[in-house]
Amino acid sequence: MRSKAIAVGLVLALFGLAAVAGPALAAGPVKIGVVGPRTGDAAATGKAFEEGIQLATAWVNAKGGVLGQPLEVVFEDTAGAPDKAASGFERLVTRDKVAMVLGESHSSSALAEIEVANRLKVPFVVVEAWADPITAKNYRYVFRAGPSNSGVVNETIAQWVVAEGFKKAYIVAENTDWGLGIAQLTEAALKQAGIPFEQLVTERKSQDHYTELTKIKQYDPDVVLAYVYGTGLHYFVAQAGEVGLTPKAVILDGAGPPSLWPDYWTNVGDYGDLECFVSSMHEKVELTPLAAEFRENYVKAFGKAPTDYKSRSIYDAVLIAADAINRAGTLDAEKLVDALETTDLLTTRGRAKFGTEKGGPEYHQWMPPMLVIQWQDKVQTVLYPPEGATGKLKR
Amino acid sequence: MKAIAKRWWLGAAVAAFAALPWTLGVYHQHILIVSLFYVMMAASWNLLAGYTGQVSFGHAAFAGIGAYASGILAVKAGVNPWIGVAAGTLLAAVFGFLLGILCLKLGGIYLSLTTLGFSEILHIVINNEYEITRGTMGLQVPGLIAEYSKLAYFYIFLAAALVTLAVVHRLIHANIGLNFRAVQNDERAAAALGVDVVRVRVLAFTVSSALAGMAGALYGHYLLLITPQIPSLDQQFLVLSMTVIGGLGSFAGPIIGAFGLEILSEYIRAYGEYHVLAFGLVALIVARFAPRGVVGIWNGWRARRDLARAAGAAP
Repeated sequence: MRSKAIAVGLVLALFGLAAVAGPALAAGPVKIGVVGPRTGDAAATGKAFEEGIQLATAWVNAKGGVLGQPLEVVFEDTAGAPDKAASGFERLVTRDKVAMVLGESHSSSALAEIEVANRLKVPFVVVEAWADPITAKNYRYVFRAGPSNSGVVNETIAQWVVAEGFKKAYIVAENTDWGLGIAQLTEAALKQAGIPFEQLVTERKSQDHYTELTKIKQYDPDVVLAYVYGTGLHYFVAQAGEVGLTPKAVILDGAGPPSLWPDYWTNVGDYGDLECFVSSMHEKVELTPLAAEFRENYVKAFGKAPTDYKSRSIYDAVLIAADAINRAGTLDAEKLVDALETTDLLTTRGRAKFGTEKGGPEYHQWMPPMLVIQWQDKVQTVLYPPEGATGKLKR
Repeated sequence: MKAIAKRWWLGAAVAAFAALPWTLGVYHQHILIVSLFYVMMAASWNLLAGYTGQVSFGHAAFAGIGAYASGILAVKAGVNPWIGVAAGTLLAAVFGFLLGILCLKLGGIYLSLTTLGFSEILHIVINNEYEITRGTMGLQVPGLIAEYSKLAYFYIFLAAALVTLAVVHRLIHANIGLNFRAVQNDERAAAALGVDVVRVRVLAFTVSSALAGMAGALYGHYLLLITPQIPSLDQQFLVLSMTVIGGLGSFAGPIIGAFGLEILSEYIRAYGEYHVLAFGLVALIVARFAPRGVVGIWNGWRARRDLARAAGAAP
């Protein structure tokens, strides 16, 4: 009986697999995949991605689609976990047969995904995962149309800290590839600038920062560079206000979006005012005509103004992918990589062009301009760069 | 004669299964490989929970010990992954043995509580010692074979699953297996008859932990990435659900449960982590209304059919 039961089990497994296999692929829309967190503590990023995808797909399809077919985007939830990210990426390629994959906003997940992209030889355009090694590994199939840690630190954060004349800094980094990587680069930049600092590493999902904040307060910094992503940033800002670290010291949210999420003000209350954050989007400033069009379409589609800049990052990435597919004239991975390397496209964040010189993180990297913005009476004020400033730092 | 026919049945099914990946794409090969991992996990947990009645919540933790031991040895010391798998299996056995000695004298709920605590402690250590384990960032590890191939991994996992099933089958059909059952049914009566209850439990716990360690180590080298998800309670409850739904205390139950739930989870993956919740609920319902799982339902149906036939054949 037992052996029969096993045999029945195996036969059922065969039928189950056959059912999962589904119908054979037919000619139809051109599919590209997007990976990102739709669940977990950065689920808001997944929501922003979905909004950007909806607008970008409509925009591309209204202009004739790709290769004469409609463009279809398949979203795979990574929950911000590297193992789910890697298996989700593989599922997009092997089950959904996507021609290219875009997205991601967690560096640790992206670092797992680039290994799969490289093994399966599928072009992958990373959007909002900043760790340098993502492009520094110089994988042929991996591109990044978004900020890198070294770009954000050296071109924006460190220069802003110097420009504001801060005397003492404190670096707080979450224990992720992004957090540890950007903290290390900030440390080097502050040393070079001669600004004294201390730093600590915090658990990514921690909800209690009181002990850490007491330590930070004892050091008495005038700026705290907080590299904490997700709702953890909200806890940090609210608790910093409670222990009296702010407003004497200024907090810079080194990621940006958590300070723009709809629940930011609910979670941090008045302690959120005067907080600074980096962003590639300001509520009133548009860098290109396409950015203005994006805002208009966003308001029309969702009945609200765009806040999380990651909706625009993924929008740009979809446009870059569609442009590359159309120029390649095929879905062949090698030709798509060649087409991506010669990208020269005006997006909402400026003209996208990928670096092609090997040897460092600039390879296959396009770094859009970033801003430092401060909440002043719940209104965004651009502080840096000086040419885009709409006001001065308030303390 | 009937026994020979059964062996032919089984041999033919295994041969058909072994040939299956040649007809499938890489996505479906992946599902088969993951299913085989869960066969190893569920069958080894069943050895403990189903045959000695000891409900451990640390089974995924032992898989984690195997995975991290092998992964860290490969990444930090450059040890060959195959040697790492052996070391991971051994380390999981040692931890199982030590934990078994520590808490199996207590039995009952205390084992469950201790293993639950052990699992959480291990999870916290892995998350916080990120300089060694890389915590939630995940530890990227080398593969078992130089050239990545789903087919090769399928046969590695099939061989490992067959070894696991053979070990479990051998144990439950040897004298020690009778001792397992005796301890499960009435440990005082078993002790009165001369069965060393603690020794039997420690043996089952050690073997079960070692098999979980081997499964975890192989799985890590297959995924090329080890994260705290392997030794998580999510994983533990998934294995528990597979065993209970398939049939706790039956040899075939964990196999049916592992394949059934892994394939089902591919259908309902869009619901994210809720699929674990759904499996938990189904496991609860099965445990309440069909405590012997799918295998029990099948056996009951056959028994009723045989009874009806016998009644029909009676003069």
